[in-house]
Amino acid sequence: MRVSEIHAPSSLAEVLEQRRRLPEAAFYAGGTELLREQAGRFLRLPPEIISLGAVPELRQVALTERFVEIGAAVTLAEILELRENAVPELLAVALRGVATPAIRNLATLGGNLATRSRFMDSWPALACLDALAEFRDASGSHWVNVNRIADAEGLPAPPAGALLSRVRIPLERWDAIAIRKVGLRDYPAAETAVFALAARAEKGILSEFRLAFAGERSLRLREVEARILGRRLPLNAKERRSFSGDYREAASSLPPGLKQQFGTLVDGALDLLSR
Amino acid sequence: MTIHFILNGEDVSMNATSADRLVDLLRERFGLHGAQADCRRGTCGKCLVLMDGRLAPSCLLPAFKARGREIVTYEGFAQTDEYADIAAGFAEAGVECCGFCDKGKILAAAAVVERSSRPTKEEILAEMAEVPCRCTDPETLVRGVQAAAERREGRRYRRASQ
Ligand SMILES: Cc1cc2nc3c(=O)[nH]c(=O)nc-3n(C[C@H](O)[C@H](O)[C@H](O)COP(=O)(O)OP(=O)(O)OC[C@H]3O[C@@H](n4cnc5c(N)ncnc54)[C@H](O)[C@@H]3O)c2cc1C
Repeated sequence: MRVSEIHAPSSLAEVLEQRRRLPEAAFYAGGTELLREQAGRFLRLPPEIISLGAVPELRQVALTERFVEIGAAVTLAEILELRENAVPELLAVALRGVATPAIRNLATLGGNLATRSRFMDSWPALACLDALAEFRDASGSHWVNVNRIADAEGLPAPPAGALLSRVRIPLERWDAIAIRKVGLRDYPAAETAVFALAARAEKGILSEFRLAFAGERSLRLREVEARILGRRLPLNAKERRSFSGDYREAASSLPPGLKQQFGTLVDGALDLLSR
Repeated sequence: MTIHFILNGEDVSMNATSADRLVDLLRERFGLHGAQADCRRGTCGKCLVLMDGRLAPSCLLPAFKARGREIVTYEGFAQTDEYADIAAGFAEAGVECCGFCDKGKILAAAAVVERSSRPTKEEILAEMAEVPCRCTDPETLVRGVQAAAERREGRRYRRASQ
């Protein structure tokens, strides 16, 4: 049985001080990911744990007209209970799809976004919304676009060792949104992923189009999005074929089951714009 | 480490290590066997407890997460008026759960009626997904939880008007 040292700071300053003293310590938020694969009698936690549950700064939610800022230790259930329109529907739908209510009572947004082994369900929605995540370390506070939490190969890359303190999510009007979770069996397995789409039109012209897909890897094609933007709706058959081809080509590195499902979802999204 | 918390309404403390799960301590130290450590992965719904009024899988709670919190197990909940509402609501609707899932379903129902005085079918089924056992017909379960919510509201109303 391995026994770990648990540190339970009660302020953000204390968390950062403990992180400075214990660079190898693991942050513990809801623990649902850290404990997910541990079916043994005794838990095996990293030797040093910094528990984030009692840090008020990480539990705050601030709402302005233009964005909502959610502390990293706010649970998914608490986010879903915020008043109507406090959270973009795209994110709410994605969070409702995470696990079960009791898990969502423990699981935090920070833990969902900071997991390194794969992308969890909030990433595609937050990437589409162009949310910003604030990371803190000894050098100070850094705001990172959630899209940059993926490296060049599309693998999760939250800044090593840094504390994710809050997430700022723009509140914008969207005309079409979609979240689809695929490959649910044995979640999260290699062939499970989440597809997110957000689009907006002004006077019949597509003014925003964002599409993100993530499981073990993430996929967001900014170049294709840029080419779709500014098109008059509905898209014609040629445009539709061309964009579908671009996305399908980019998906060639996905596992076979996911590749096919991604292609179908992209076609569904393009169909929507072609009607 | 020593952990102080409130268990079924009483201040308690326990010695535990970071390797201990709350479910095991509830059973071994406090003799509360209502929560069972079955899957130990947070999926079977047999270890559910209420933590600060919210449903939580006690197999995914290391002991240190209980510090300063209020934990209610099935045994503690069974002593409350809220339990009586649910038991009566379930009986009225004809809900019969098997011995594997009954405690989890009652605690899940408690979490629903705590949040909403008139829970919708969707709210109820979403919370009940916590306990994946299929022994009970979902429609009957929905009626049982709605009947429990009505009883609870009625009881509160009577108390307020006394
Ligand atoms: C039965 C079950 C089903 C699940 N189903 C889903 C699902 O459908 N979809 C899904 O997305 N997830 C699922 N999960 C995984 C998990 O519940 C979620 O991803 C959850 O949001 C993780 O949050 P947490 O607070 O529990 O993270 P933790 O387990 O506490 O931490 C996860 C990781 O993030 C790090 N971390 C936590 N907080 C911070 C922070 N503030 N700054 C820096 N690093 C931090 C930790 O060190 C750890 O590496 C499931 C888990 C279980 C047990």
